[in-house]
Amino acid sequence: MNLLSDPVGVSHYLVVGALLFTTGVVCMVVKRNALGVLMGIELVLNGANVNFVAFGSPVLRGEQASLLGLDGQAMALFVILLAAAEAAVALAITLNFYNNHATVDVDRADDLKG
Amino acid sequence: MELVETDLGATLSTLLGLAWLIPLGSFVAILFFGPKMGPHGRNSAWVATGAIGTSFVLSLFAFGNWMVTHPPVSGHHGDDHGVSEEAGHDDHAAWDVQDRAGKTPASFVNFAEEHGEAASDGHADEHGDDHAEAHAADGHAEHHDDHGHGEHAAEKIAYSGDWYRLYSSPSLVLSIGWYIDSLTVFLFVMVTFIATCIHVYASGYMHDELHDITDHEVTLASGEHLHRPGRFPRFFQALSLFCFSMLGIVIAGNLAMVFMFWELVGICSWFLIGFYFERKSASTAANKAFIVNRVGDFGMLIGLMALWGALGTLHFGDSVSVDADGHQVVQPGLFSLVRPAENGHALQVPDGMVVAAAANRVGDIASVVSPEEARAVVEEQVSGWRARGYGNWLLVIAGLGIFCGCMGKSAQVPLHVWLPDAMEGPTPVSALVHSATMVAAGVYLTGRFYPVLSPDVLVVIAYIGAITLFIAATIALVCTDIKRVLAYSTVSQLGYMMLALGLGGWVAGLFHLVTHAFFKSLLFMCSGSVIHACHTNDMRRMGGLLKKMPYTGWTMLVGCLAIIGAGIPFSLGGLHIGLSGYYSKDAILAQALVYSRVNESHALLWYAAAGGAAMTAFYMFRLWFMTFLGEPRDEHVAEHVHESPAVMTAPLVVLAVMAVIAGWSIGPLGVAALLEQARPLGTAAGMTGGGLLTAAVTVPAEAASHAPEVHVYATWVAFATASSGVLLAAVFYVWRLINPGLIATTLRPVYTFLENKWYFDEIYEWIFVKPAHGVAMLASANDRGIIDSILHLVAWASRQLAAVDAWVDRVVVDGVVNTLASVTWSSGLRLRDLQTGRLRQYVMFIVVGTVAIFLLASMMLSTTVASP
Amino acid sequence: MMQALVATHTLLAAGSPGINWHGFFFLLFALLACGLALAVVLADNVVRMAFYLVLSLGATAGLFFLAGAEFVGAMQLMIYVGGTLVLLIFGVMLTAQEPFVAIRTSTRDKVLAGVVGGALLAVLLQAALTGPAWSGHTAVDASAGVSQPTATPLGMALVGVRVDGDVASGQPSPVDGQVRSGYLLPFEIVSVHLLVVLVGAAYLARTKRRKSSASVRDEALTGVVR
Repeated sequence: MNLLSDPVGVSHYLVVGALLFTTGVVCMVVKRNALGVLMGIELVLNGANVNFVAFGSPVLRGEQASLLGLDGQAMALFVILLAAAEAAVALAITLNFYNNHATVDVDRADDLKG
Repeated sequence: MELVETDLGATLSTLLGLAWLIPLGSFVAILFFGPKMGPHGRNSAWVATGAIGTSFVLSLFAFGNWMVTHPPVSGHHGDDHGVSEEAGHDDHAAWDVQDRAGKTPASFVNFAEEHGEAASDGHADEHGDDHAEAHAADGHAEHHDDHGHGEHAAEKIAYSGDWYRLYSSPSLVLSIGWYIDSLTVFLFVMVTFIATCIHVYASGYMHDELHDITDHEVTLASGEHLHRPGRFPRFFQALSLFCFSMLGIVIAGNLAMVFMFWELVGICSWFLIGFYFERKSASTAANKAFIVNRVGDFGMLIGLMALWGALGTLHFGDSVSVDADGHQVVQPGLFSLVRPAENGHALQVPDGMVVAAAANRVGDIASVVSPEEARAVVEEQVSGWRARGYGNWLLVIAGLGIFCGCMGKSAQVPLHVWLPDAMEGPTPVSALVHSATMVAAGVYLTGRFYPVLSPDVLVVIAYIGAITLFIAATIALVCTDIKRVLAYSTVSQLGYMMLALGLGGWVAGLFHLVTHAFFKSLLFMCSGSVIHACHTNDMRRMGGLLKKMPYTGWTMLVGCLAIIGAGIPFSLGGLHIGLSGYYSKDAILAQALVYSRVNESHALLWYAAAGGAAMTAFYMFRLWFMTFLGEPRDEHVAEHVHESPAVMTAPLVVLAVMAVIAGWSIGPLGVAALLEQARPLGTAAGMTGGGLLTAAVTVPAEAASHAPEVHVYATWVAFATASSGVLLAAVFYVWRLINPGLIATTLRPVYTFLENKWYFDEIYEWIFVKPAHGVAMLASANDRGIIDSILHLVAWASRQLAAVDAWVDRVVVDGVVNTLASVTWSSGLRLRDLQTGRLRQYVMFIVVGTVAIFLLASMMLSTTVASP
Repeated sequence: MMQALVATHTLLAAGSPGINWHGFFFLLFALLACGLALAVVLADNVVRMAFYLVLSLGATAGLFFLAGAEFVGAMQLMIYVGGTLVLLIFGVMLTAQEPFVAIRTSTRDKVLAGVVGGALLAVLLQAALTGPAWSGHTAVDASAGVSQPTATPLGMALVGVRVDGDVASGQPSPVDGQVRSGYLLPFEIVSVHLLVVLVGAAYLARTKRRKSSASVRDEALTGVVR
């Protein structure tokens, strides 16, 4: 199968989702800035969202019914909402961390080290 | 009439019940709050005195109620001492009163006929050939007939009932109840009165206890004297409890309750004798009193069992209850069972005892016929069995058993040994507990239980009483400790009371109980005052105290005169004048004289009583002369002597007045007449019986002793013996015509024998204490040698086993657990390295983990796929 | 921009043979999204990272439009790009002091991350490309590409009424009788959740009045005395 020649299908979206997801994870791993980690998380969620939308899309599978139908899109909506909530809380935590440690370097947040 | 009487019963039971319970309240209050009552608990004396004073007032109310409702008819005692010439006339008056009360003469005539026959028969059998002796009794019987049976007409008035039933079953009812007759009411007044006096006296006497005390009679191991805090509240606490217990005995409506309070009195006595418990002598005396009393109580328990087992009730009086159908059911009490009304209140062995004794025959009957028929047959047979003597022994055992308890409490030989030692307690205790009230409990119970006592038992009682009075009097002759003289005199007087009861002198015995309570508490409190002043009990170091202690000296003289029965032995214008002891002791002597005339083989009792009177006079005046007259023998003691404070002398004066007038009767009012009201039914006429323990005896009617011929003789004998005793004492100790020391030397063996109290303590030591010690040593050796060694072996084996077990524990069990713990610990240590606390690394782990799971899963799947 | 995209889509649906506009736009947005995401990873400056992220998310919204999920795409733009990222940028600005703007990561970490990320990507791609349900030819016929807009059914579903077709059959469901639940309850839960989270976040991020240690000690002492 050839991604480039084939008409756009679910697999294409899944590839994009995988790329976004992986980028997010790598972002989380390499960024020492807490906000960078946060952005990584956003990317991960976004990648997941792409998958949801792809599975729920009425377009991508043509005559076949979509895998999830409207559920996929609803799920994507909820994920967006949860991402917003998560961003708010994470930002608050980051600010707290910053207030307490005077830094946003997550490597310094090792108080729970074993 | 019925209604009024019921009301009076309720009123009396309420008043006396309150009077009985208030000291308990005082006890509880002092028990819990005593030390907080004023400095050093000073106010506890007021609480206790107030309580007993309130009881006294309530008792007086009850007494007044009684006197208004049942005014005493002038009995025989009243006339004999007051207006002896008009005895016959007064009897008419008495009978008139009863007539007005609405009794039916016809029924009494019946009684009279039966009873007259019985009495005549008895005399015909026993003393048919002795007209002179029999005359008194016969005359008494005739007298009954002439006067419409006055004795029986004076029907005993008694109220009984239950406050609370502790336990109830068909075979036994245990209850807190009352039995109130004039004896109860009067004893309440007497006990509370004397107790009030003694409480007041004690609040002065015990003031040493208000602060710390150095007890010079206790030497510690360090060689110092004991120093201890005062125990003022504790003393009054025990006194209150004692008053409660004593009043409980008096008001008790059944023998079980009597027994309960009997024991309470015993424990109070133990507390009070052992008040100075640091002194070895005091604690030993307390234990001795307690243990000796237990010996008596053992007998009492046997008596209780005999009564309960055979009769199924311990109530004195009949108890009325309402059954399911609404009918009144009268459950006969002990008195009705033993002296049933159908039998003219004459003593007969109750059915229950006959049946119990004839158990074999009952069994034979029951094995043949059905239970209902058997019951009927048994009922038919009972009177036949009774005639053949079944159950006589049971009645004797019951009587002797109860009397055994009385012996312990009233210090009769051979259980008298505790009373002199009990003088170790503080003197107010001696006065209250060991002269006036507690020891009186035994006499009281004998009097209360009198209807149930058979002639055999009465003979035993009389002999015990006579022996006691004689032995105690002889010991008192040589005592030098002032309190011990009084203690032995108490024992002796208690012997008199028992003697009187045993001889059939019911009123005489209890009369003496009352008068004795007054003058003996007076004497004890005087001696307490002397001891308080001299700080010694030894009469040989006293002398010439009269000038320095006038109140004490003169009131004590009054007490001495009262106890020897001083009085004018002839009638002055129809009046016999004398101190209280005069009346009561004369009554006893007269009864003894009558008895010895009726039963010649028992004449010894009369001689013992008369001789005892002489000795009483001698030792009492020996005491008084040695203490108050002559020159001081010990300058050191005499220097510090002073009269006691008013709080102590005031009760002395009050009691002295009572000791003078307690025996007087004004018209029909007098103690004797009052007691006559309480005379148990059917005991007025005397009885004949016995044959089990002694040859048959005739217990003469008490009225016989009031015959002028007997009474005048007895009075003169009493006067002669008493005055000879006083004269002899004066010869020895005032005029010093004879040196008492010389007599002692001359009669050395006798003197030593008496000084050692007839060696009772030594005999008991050898007979009871030493063997008990021997048995105890054997038991102890057995314990130590055999049982202990077995135990040690077992213990040793256990230790060895335990050692093995410990090794297993330490090595195996602990090893496993420790290994587990250390493994957990070290793996934890290693794993903690993973917890770097670095967020990014964790993310990495997640990713690696996810990938790894994926790879693993795909490998597994591929193998799963490949395997088929 | 949204209207332009919708217009494009309509245009695509109308179908103009020659250029596969659908494929073209997909490729464009996909490259943008992935490239900008990569830029987020590679950028050192946090402000730039935020900017790249905004663009990446916007491009993803475009992908959603292409997939026929207009409503989700719109929400992506409004909530994500408009809300969340504003929040993020606020955070960046609040903490963007000189030392923290660019915190360098050690090369070793980067290499390690690359290796691990590559492994993960390999796994994911393998899954994306070999999944039986969606692999193979699932071409979108350009002419048949006209689909009903999904905004209305989705909105109806969120208030509890389903008007879309059955998932399995793809047929529009008969409205009569058959009850199919909407998303009203999850919707409510999520909304309350959002509210709670916002309150919590406000609480966490509030300015704390720092107590001096002395006053703390005093309070403890008085507490003991009381």
